[in-house]
Amino acid sequence: MNNNRQEVLTTEEKDTLQEIMNIGFGSAAADISEVINLYVILSVPTISVLNTPDLIEYIKSEVADHKNISIVEQNFFSKFKGLALLIFTLGAGKGLLSALGKGLDKEILESDPMGMLEEDLLLEVGNILVGACVGKIAELLGDVVNYSPPRLIDGNLADRVLSHDIFDPKNIVIILHTIFRFSGNTASGCLFLVTSHESVSWLKQALRTFLSQYE
Amino acid sequence: MQKILIIDDSPVARKILKSCFPKDEQREFFEEGDGTTGLQRFENIHPDITITDLTMPGMGGMEVLERIKTNHPEAIVIVSSADIQPVTRERVISLGAYAFLKKPPSKEIVAKLFADLTQYQRQK
Repeated sequence: MNNNRQEVLTTEEKDTLQEIMNIGFGSAAADISEVINLYVILSVPTISVLNTPDLIEYIKSEVADHKNISIVEQNFFSKFKGLALLIFTLGAGKGLLSALGKGLDKEILESDPMGMLEEDLLLEVGNILVGACVGKIAELLGDVVNYSPPRLIDGNLADRVLSHDIFDPKNIVIILHTIFRFSGNTASGCLFLVTSHESVSWLKQALRTFLSQYE
Repeated sequence: MQKILIIDDSPVARKILKSCFPKDEQREFFEEGDGTTGLQRFENIHPDITITDLTMPGMGGMEVLERIKTNHPEAIVIVSSADIQPVTRERVISLGAYAFLKKPPSKEIVAKLFADLTQYQRQK
């Protein structure tokens, strides 16, 4: 177990990563607002370093009602490697669908609780937000990432997240976390980017290179 | 000497922004990490230019901008933000910001912005 997690990133590295996440999610919000014509209200991102076994409790503590959520998950691979978890509050799919679907047949909108349209919409919104955010972060840090297809998951959050073999239970993870809300209280949620321990050395070097442009 | 007040909760964002200014010009920078202290500093020093972030803990940059422009309509306020949604830009400009500066800034963009601003101030 790595007991020196506080020393994994310096204060300046954390602050730089926070600013890069801020820019990444700002870029993602602009992309999604163009596609779905809803304004995205942003918050200040946070950066945390945790021992891997503490990851689930951390996510649960940050998500108000973690039993009533929809999660879009997507892996990203390259030097910047990890898992994106886009967590929507219950009803987000319906909220987004009704905001978008004024021209749609009412019967379609009132279909089963998690119908095909809602699923498709959450996957699409997730794909755009994660892709734009992770892509921008990678670009700023001089990397190009590949993605797995987005998946909509339910069930046990812990089982799902810890089943990813990119997370070494004996090591640490870096978590980039931001909260967002769509205009008119249509939907809200949060994005967690969990980077694997393998990325840490590269990330520290990439952050130094990023900052050196401004010295 | 030109007084520039930078309001941003991120020390790195402030450092990046300051580094984008030409080194050979006489400027004095003042920094604050949140909207409330930023406003207080504004009232104390009356900067020539204020550059504020939008998304900050506590008082956000939109409120900072609104308060400054309400009390000092002639003040030059530039908004520097990662929130690049068109609606955000429109709100910022409608509240009286001189310009919107997308994060991360570059030396070229900052140089052009300040060249335009100098010309604008001469014409006033």
